[in-house]
Amino acid sequence: MRSPRRVWGVVGLLVFVHLLLHLSLGIGDRAPDLLVIALLIAAREVGVGRGAGLGFALGLLDDALSVLAFGANTLALTLVGAGGARTRDLFVGDSLVFLTSYLVLGKWSRDLIHWIAVGERMREPFVDAILVQAPIAAAYAAVVGLVVISVIGLGWESVR
Amino acid sequence: MPPFHTDVKEPKPSRGGLTALGWLALSLVVLYLPNESQQEMASLLRGSLLWPFVMTQETLARARVHAADTEMLQAQVDSLSSVISSQNTLVEENDGLRDLLQLSRRLPSKFVAAGVIRPGTPGSESMFLLDAGVRRGVHANTPVVVGRGLLGVVREARATSSVGMDWTHPQFRASAMTLDGAVYGMVLASQGRFREDTRLLVDGIPFHQELSLGTILVTSGLGGLYPRGIPIGAVEEEAEARAGWRRSYWLRPFVEPGQATHVLVLVSGGEGLDQSGLWAAEDSVPLMMLDGEAGGAQDLPENPTDGPGG
Repeated sequence: MRSPRRVWGVVGLLVFVHLLLHLSLGIGDRAPDLLVIALLIAAREVGVGRGAGLGFALGLLDDALSVLAFGANTLALTLVGAGGARTRDLFVGDSLVFLTSYLVLGKWSRDLIHWIAVGERMREPFVDAILVQAPIAAAYAAVVGLVVISVIGLGWESVR
Repeated sequence: MPPFHTDVKEPKPSRGGLTALGWLALSLVVLYLPNESQQEMASLLRGSLLWPFVMTQETLARARVHAADTEMLQAQVDSLSSVISSQNTLVEENDGLRDLLQLSRRLPSKFVAAGVIRPGTPGSESMFLLDAGVRRGVHANTPVVVGRGLLGVVREARATSSVGMDWTHPQFRASAMTLDGAVYGMVLASQGRFREDTRLLVDGIPFHQELSLGTILVTSGLGGLYPRGIPIGAVEEEAEARAGWRRSYWLRPFVEPGQATHVLVLVSGGEGLDQSGLWAAEDSVPLMMLDGEAGGAQDLPENPTDGPGG
């Protein structure tokens, strides 16, 4: 059963594991972006305002270790959090196709907004960063997200 | 006939939408805050919420260093011991010559050993954390070196930790010169198509001065940030030559940032002094020799430990 307590527990766990993998173990890009998965899962449970607020908080955590463009992650996750929460009003249901698209587009949008926000001097070429690397990272995040949703059982029955 | 009233009302923005706009505005404020304020916020987060994760990585990094090959470490200790013992006479000779010339004693350089921690989060690719801070003498703009040469510089120092940037950072700049001090230029990081493609470029070389393949460049000491004589890299190929104006060359760096796990931070005594005596030829040159590009060796002085400041 999907209970708010379980959802928030999973979100907290994902944030913890993300920091553990990326910061404590320094795995980097080889580890999936669990922060955005946590945000996208949480955003389906809250309103637009709280989704944006959660994105802001998670983005600040990501930016605390950024010297290239402080605030770029915050802006990206705030927008993704708000957008994710908005999908509650636009799309009903939790089919596998919807969830896959939701996770892929959420992660890809996050990378696109981050790419725009970091500024011209610091970013990689658009084709390489957004059309090659970002879709791969998005697919990776989506697979991990679907596994998390189905294994932990957030009540999205169609995924299992 | 009663007047007709439609039930259609002007759409009002929801409370949630306004809150989201507020968060969005706040995130834009964070993005455009002055650099100092951004660093303060980042420090606050690193010292509070992220502290347990940073500490875990510090502990793991320390464990990795302790698990290093003891035979290799023993070999390095033996090499250092032999170098030190062979230089005793040089030190006495140097002191005698300084007395003869009535020169004051050279200020000793002080290095602090520190472990490097690399966060793997987006946007942190060119930065590293050090497990040494203000309490051990580390402060902002302190050079960070490893055995082979320059790694980067400390950007921000806290009580027990500090944040630095390596030479792949877009804002990295170092004034450089050839070993004989004949040619000067500015070394900077040139971004490639991918992050991994970042290369070192020495720019601003006068057009009439040409650098041969393998020429070693060291910090010049100009600008006061990096002391003179820290190896940076060797010339790999010419990047650009604007007729009659200037030349630029691609460099092969002596230090690969990803390989640095333990570094030395030059905390005092280095300002304005020549550090070239601290790097022996064998420290940096093998990188060139291994690839069959032994041209760099010809640019080294016969006795590289005899720096002008020694």
